[in-house]
Amino acid sequence: MELLASAWAYFLNRQDLMFEVLKEHVTLVLWATFFTVIIGVPVGIAISRTEKLRNTILGSVSILYTIPILALFGFLIPIMGIGSTPALIALVIYGLLPVIRNSCVGIIQVHPQLKESARGMGANDLQLLFKVEIPLAFPVIFAGIRTALVMNFSLATYAVFIGAGGMGRIIMQGIRTFNTGMMLAGILMVVITTVLLERMVGVVDNRIQKRYSLSD
Amino acid sequence: MTREISVELQKVSKLYGQDKVVNEVSLSVEKGEIFVLIGPSGCGKTTTLKMINQLIPHTSGNILVNGTDVAELDVVELRRSIGYVIQYIGLLPHLTIQENIAFVLKLTKQSKKLQKEKAEELIETVGLDFSHLNRYPRELSGGQQQRVGVARALAANPDILLMDEPFGAVDPLTREQLQNELLRLQESIQKTIVFVTHDMQEAFKVGNRIGILRQGELVTLGTPMEIVKSDDEFVKNFIGQGALFEVFDTIPVTRVLEKSVPLVRIHEKVDLQAEELKDWENVFVVEPDGNCKGYIPLSDLNKDGSFAAEQIEPLPKASSPDISVKLAVQEMLWGGRTWLPIVDESTGFKGIVLFRSCAALVAENGR
Ligand SMILES: Nc1ncnc2c1ncn2[C@@H]1O[C@H](COP(=O)(O)OP(=O)(O)OP(=O)(O)O)[C@@H](O)[C@H]1O
Ligand SMILES: [Mg+2]
Repeated sequence: MELLASAWAYFLNRQDLMFEVLKEHVTLVLWATFFTVIIGVPVGIAISRTEKLRNTILGSVSILYTIPILALFGFLIPIMGIGSTPALIALVIYGLLPVIRNSCVGIIQVHPQLKESARGMGANDLQLLFKVEIPLAFPVIFAGIRTALVMNFSLATYAVFIGAGGMGRIIMQGIRTFNTGMMLAGILMVVITTVLLERMVGVVDNRIQKRYSLSD
Repeated sequence: MTREISVELQKVSKLYGQDKVVNEVSLSVEKGEIFVLIGPSGCGKTTTLKMINQLIPHTSGNILVNGTDVAELDVVELRRSIGYVIQYIGLLPHLTIQENIAFVLKLTKQSKKLQKEKAEELIETVGLDFSHLNRYPRELSGGQQQRVGVARALAANPDILLMDEPFGAVDPLTREQLQNELLRLQESIQKTIVFVTHDMQEAFKVGNRIGILRQGELVTLGTPMEIVKSDDEFVKNFIGQGALFEVFDTIPVTRVLEKSVPLVRIHEKVDLQAEELKDWENVFVVEPDGNCKGYIPLSDLNKDGSFAAEQIEPLPKASSPDISVKLAVQEMLWGGRTWLPIVDESTGFKGIVLFRSCAALVAENGR
């Protein structure tokens, strides 16, 4: 109880700092998710067309995904130094797997009859992709983006190790300075914002799934 | 009179590797007719149909659409000019009914206004309510979805429609209703329709002409009556024993209604010399309002053609003019008579159907 009180006191005292780290955190995550989508969705769609490339790419992305984040930082620091760029790259690398995989699966599972009827009506390749395949794969693609976003949000806590700030800063500083109130404030903030984010995206996701649910 | 040909297949074949799934099929579909392709599962009906809009490219032979070889046409343009309806309907679940119907118009970048107008027009054409336009496909029944499928195929106003087992996925009652609607619709739109089914009854019902496929080859081609009379063992087996009755079921009894029935008024004499008496055994007695009171066998008449009111025999149970020849024949058989009176509930006596005229239908060709 005392601990909680000290965390709360810290939070009230240093609202400016809390805001600052939250902003850093959110900015990092949004950029990371943006690049993940920009790269992941087209790659996912591309590999949905060719089976050969599919296994190679999904395989390599899966391997990258299993590297612990601190080890990944270890790779990136000698190449790029520290700062937000390597942090961004690390997050993008983790986000790619769910986004690529879901985009690929989403496109593949569009019912062939639907594609055929659209083609039968005279849709060309681009129209088929943008008016039929992507809209129909959207719920699955979005689920992948949701996973990447929430995962990146929690992974971004580590960004502090590579000098990219974020909410991890408060926790680290709290540990380093034996300030348990500060540390706990950081931890609670991470937990609460992650849960909130998860909930929010969940609501959006539910809407999308409902809106697009197929009739059989 | 030679009729205009809308779709022509000249020795068209489709090979998958060494498999000839369609083998030198030649046929021509006349403008405005419903041409049915039928055959056992896997005989190549769908493949043949899809070669017409080039969803499946053919291996050899020529396919002409409105006189032009499809090889010379842009496939996308070709498909936009031909309506396409499939069994699984293929309505896009993320689009409203209105957007689904106007999909082709959207592909060709027509104005929003036109898309809306066309959707409103077509939803009525296929017998659905305006209120359906803003719904999603999953909110419609199978039969309603199927109607939307037809509306969608009509959106670009194509003069050719390809339909692949369009009513295959609905219950028998709805199916019959949809068939009737298609026939009614066809009377006003007069499209050229290539219709694939594996239901013989459906083929007889909607087809002006029927082509039977077997292992990729066209075995027979003809009107329902010609098909029924085929000597080919495969065809006989395929269409089954009741086929003649199935064809009779599609012909309205009004087609065989006798043109001139010998009539006489009460208290008048029958003119025994009259030309129309030839071939008749009975004279029919009508009242001034046109209703039929009964009949008198010619043999019961007095020498001068007169008769007494007591001699009039009551008319046997009459049928409505809406029935088919099949039902009429059944009625005659049940009644042990070679003729059947036809009476309209509201307008009265319509005439007489003779058994021999029904039988003569088999001799005469076509519908
Ligand atoms: N892509 C393909 N590769 C190889 N064979 C195929 C291919 N598509 C179809 N076939 C074969 O071609 C034959 C004809 O198929 P098609 O779909 O035209 O049959 P169908 O008459 O429409 O049958 P059904 O009544 O079951 O729909 C079948 O034997 C099928 O196995
Ligand atoms: Mg088929």
